[in-house]
Amino acid sequence: MSQRRVAITGLGLVSPYGGDLADFFTRLCAGQSAVGFLQTDDVPRPLSMPFVSCPAFDPDVALGKPLASMMDRFAQFAMAAAFSAWDDAGLPRKGEGEDRDDWGVAWGTALGGTMAYEKGYRELWQKGRERLSPLTVLLGMNSSANAHISIQLGLGGVSMSHTVACASSAIAIGEAFRRVRSGEATVMLTGGSDVPQAYGVARAWEALRVMAPGDADTSATACRPFSADRHGLVLGEGGAALVLEDWEHAVARGARIHGEIVGYGTTCDHSHLVRPEAEGQIRAIRLTLADAGLNAANIDYVNAHGTATAEGDPVEVAALKSVFGEHAASLPVSATKSMHGHMLGGSAAIEAIVTVLALRDGSIPPTAHLGQLDPACIGVDHVTTARHGQPLRAALSNSFAFGGSNAVLAFRAVDL
Amino acid sequence: MESIGLIRDFLKDRLGVEPENVVPGAQLAELGVDSLMMLELMFEFEDRFGIKLSRDIKTPRTVGEMVSLMDGLIAKSKS
Repeated sequence: MSQRRVAITGLGLVSPYGGDLADFFTRLCAGQSAVGFLQTDDVPRPLSMPFVSCPAFDPDVALGKPLASMMDRFAQFAMAAAFSAWDDAGLPRKGEGEDRDDWGVAWGTALGGTMAYEKGYRELWQKGRERLSPLTVLLGMNSSANAHISIQLGLGGVSMSHTVACASSAIAIGEAFRRVRSGEATVMLTGGSDVPQAYGVARAWEALRVMAPGDADTSATACRPFSADRHGLVLGEGGAALVLEDWEHAVARGARIHGEIVGYGTTCDHSHLVRPEAEGQIRAIRLTLADAGLNAANIDYVNAHGTATAEGDPVEVAALKSVFGEHAASLPVSATKSMHGHMLGGSAAIEAIVTVLALRDGSIPPTAHLGQLDPACIGVDHVTTARHGQPLRAALSNSFAFGGSNAVLAFRAVDL
Repeated sequence: MESIGLIRDFLKDRLGVEPENVVPGAQLAELGVDSLMMLELMFEFEDRFGIKLSRDIKTPRTVGEMVSLMDGLIAKSKS
């Protein structure tokens, strides 16, 4: 079967910094943290934690009131990111006679419309109401994001969502990539979004003891991947989208191509729900390299999963050392979650965008707040301040989720 | 005429429709009220006035029909 090349022609996100895509990447390269301090008035005990919010995001402005009112916040993020990526790709929002019957959506979300259901529980249990709005089902369903995107952009092909914890959108992007590469789809809109500040969800994460502590003064530097004094991850809300397009279709319409997606591999540790194993990650990275027709010496950057948990970071470095062998010590690696936080199902999508921009612009954003490297994380070239003017050829983005699900994406720069 | 206020508030809040456009002759569909919004509007009405709408109710097409329906039900519930 002849395989199609897959161009990345559109990138879009809801930036926690409030600006556009270029502003987002500039701030990441500057090492600027988007992590703030979340304090709520919840009963019985308010949430009080480092968190990445998008306060500048106004769904009524981004989507219009009628559309925004039909969506839970995670779908609002999805739709806004999708519109942004679509516009970036130079595609009209409605097909206008163009046949889009094989164009589709593959979205990633770990939590889906949890906020809608939580609102329902509050109404019932706190406010003593006996019934819920009929829209609750449509706001709460995990597939609402992909469905709204298909409707708004007139996409008649597959419309689906993937729920694989922190690897949700890596798997969504990978599955979308395969459909375009195989010729099944001409264009796939893909990405992910999540909104983890539902009271029950945030409290549950706290109970796992993997969340970095912090207050109003210290939250910005709370997430310190690979650092000897790291204390865990920081959750955040967000959404990011990519347009994957048949290369010839993109060239024929004169689209700007940001980069090429060339490989995808996914595995399961099949051993433990939360304790990662290098072996499963190694298999995922090797599968991806083989899928992409690349070898270790071709990779010039890895955007790490790097959540800053005690257990996760050393295992990821061990996996990289095993795959990259003699190249590992000179392999540039950074964990941008130190700045944009962990938006669960949205993370891999935002990190895919970071990886594509790094390749396109020849700039590697750093792992922020990495002072003293944990000896257990030694063995790769940790990027602690941005490197510009780098002739980057190919890069990987790792996503290693709870459940032992691993997904790795491989990208190539266009001109090199 | 209690219900016209509810309809205006609802359409302003959910769809951004200006109250002066919510007049008796206006078609609900043209104001952006699809079947889902209609369900939600009925729900708001039931909630506000403590009235349960029967399942076989004829779906109103204009603002005027909606107002008559709601005002009728409110009057009946008070009598």
